[in-house]
Amino acid sequence: MTTALSHYLDSVRENLKLDSSLEHEVIQELETHIEDELQELKQSGLSEEEAAKTCETLLGSAKLVARQIYEAHSQGSWTQALFAAMPHLLFGLLFALSWWQGIIWLLGMLVLVLAVVVYGWWRGKPAWLFPWLGYSLLPVVSAGLLLLYLPAGWSWLAILIYIPMALLLVCAITTKTIKRDWLYSSLMLLPLPVIIGWFMAVEPGSKFPDYWLQRLHDFGPWIGLSFLALAATVVAFIRLRKRWLKVSLLVLSGLITLTLVAFYADGRLSIPALLMLIIVMLIMLLSPALVERLLRHTG
Amino acid sequence: MAQRRELIKGSFDSLILCLIDQQPMYGYQIIKELEKRSQGYFRFKEGTLYPALHRLERAGLIQGRWQTLPSGRQRRYYHITEKGLHGLETKRSQWLDFLKAMNLIIQPVSDLHEVD
Repeated sequence: MTTALSHYLDSVRENLKLDSSLEHEVIQELETHIEDELQELKQSGLSEEEAAKTCETLLGSAKLVARQIYEAHSQGSWTQALFAAMPHLLFGLLFALSWWQGIIWLLGMLVLVLAVVVYGWWRGKPAWLFPWLGYSLLPVVSAGLLLLYLPAGWSWLAILIYIPMALLLVCAITTKTIKRDWLYSSLMLLPLPVIIGWFMAVEPGSKFPDYWLQRLHDFGPWIGLSFLALAATVVAFIRLRKRWLKVSLLVLSGLITLTLVAFYADGRLSIPALLMLIIVMLIMLLSPALVERLLRHTG
Repeated sequence: MAQRRELIKGSFDSLILCLIDQQPMYGYQIIKELEKRSQGYFRFKEGTLYPALHRLERAGLIQGRWQTLPSGRQRRYYHITEKGLHGLETKRSQWLDFLKAMNLIIQPVSDLHEVD
């Protein structure tokens, strides 16, 4: 096969954004088509170069073909959509029903999240995995935050060792996710600005005072509501076919949910803080696209 | 040309199902058959066939199976499913009704008088 046609297949591969087994099948099928076409064109008297050029013209835009194949596969079933929304629903319930105070519930949730993540990763990283994957990183972040409350001296030592290791783990998982499809990385990071927003609204301060827990209790139903909004977003995300609609949905949902957080935070989230959160949200949702491009160019 | 493209787009799935109903076929074969049987009328960007095949397969109307040829090469043949057969039956009767109605209106008035 000529270089031009190999580039054609590379371009299809780059824009497919499907799981590796399906991607392999699509490319193999197109490759067979190209071989048949080239053979027939050469038999009709065209040179190798002319045949390759004609073949590329007959196939049409590689990006368009890839986008249309993506759209044929991008819509998940209702079961997949509900399963993908499940971690947001469970996390919302933890707060809405004050289950977060029970260690059994927290441990149960942690075990469930980890089990689903391991299963999904092993099954070839389907779309429903990524919201669960986001929550599996939460204990890593939470443990880092809790280190701040260790006695002085110990906390610095722990932070110096823990934070680089935690960052390395989060970056490695995010990079792997971006390589699959940057949009899944955005889906994975979707709840993070909302969690940061509620964290800022609860204002834990330097120690664990009683009012910190009380405030978390008071905000519980609204925290639950914001995670219910995220669950609805995930359902719509899985059911949508077109990429631009998926991107718009994530950004719109992020904006609405953060506004909801600011509204119910009872004035504890100032306008500058909300604006900063919106910028963080936009960076988290859209920067994976840039990272993907960077990863592609660096090989 | 754009009108023809729109017409083909609207009936593309039916055309594919019709061909595969007669015998299992692979992508390149479908394109060549469509071109040959329509005497060159159905000619389009070949790459766009594959999204249609994948869409039909996802809908359960056809099923793709890899087959190894004696030469060792592999080809993906598409077979029509039970659901596809039912779908094709419905589409076929819709098309025949549509064509009948179109003919009644589109044919020149002189032809109608001749029939009378």
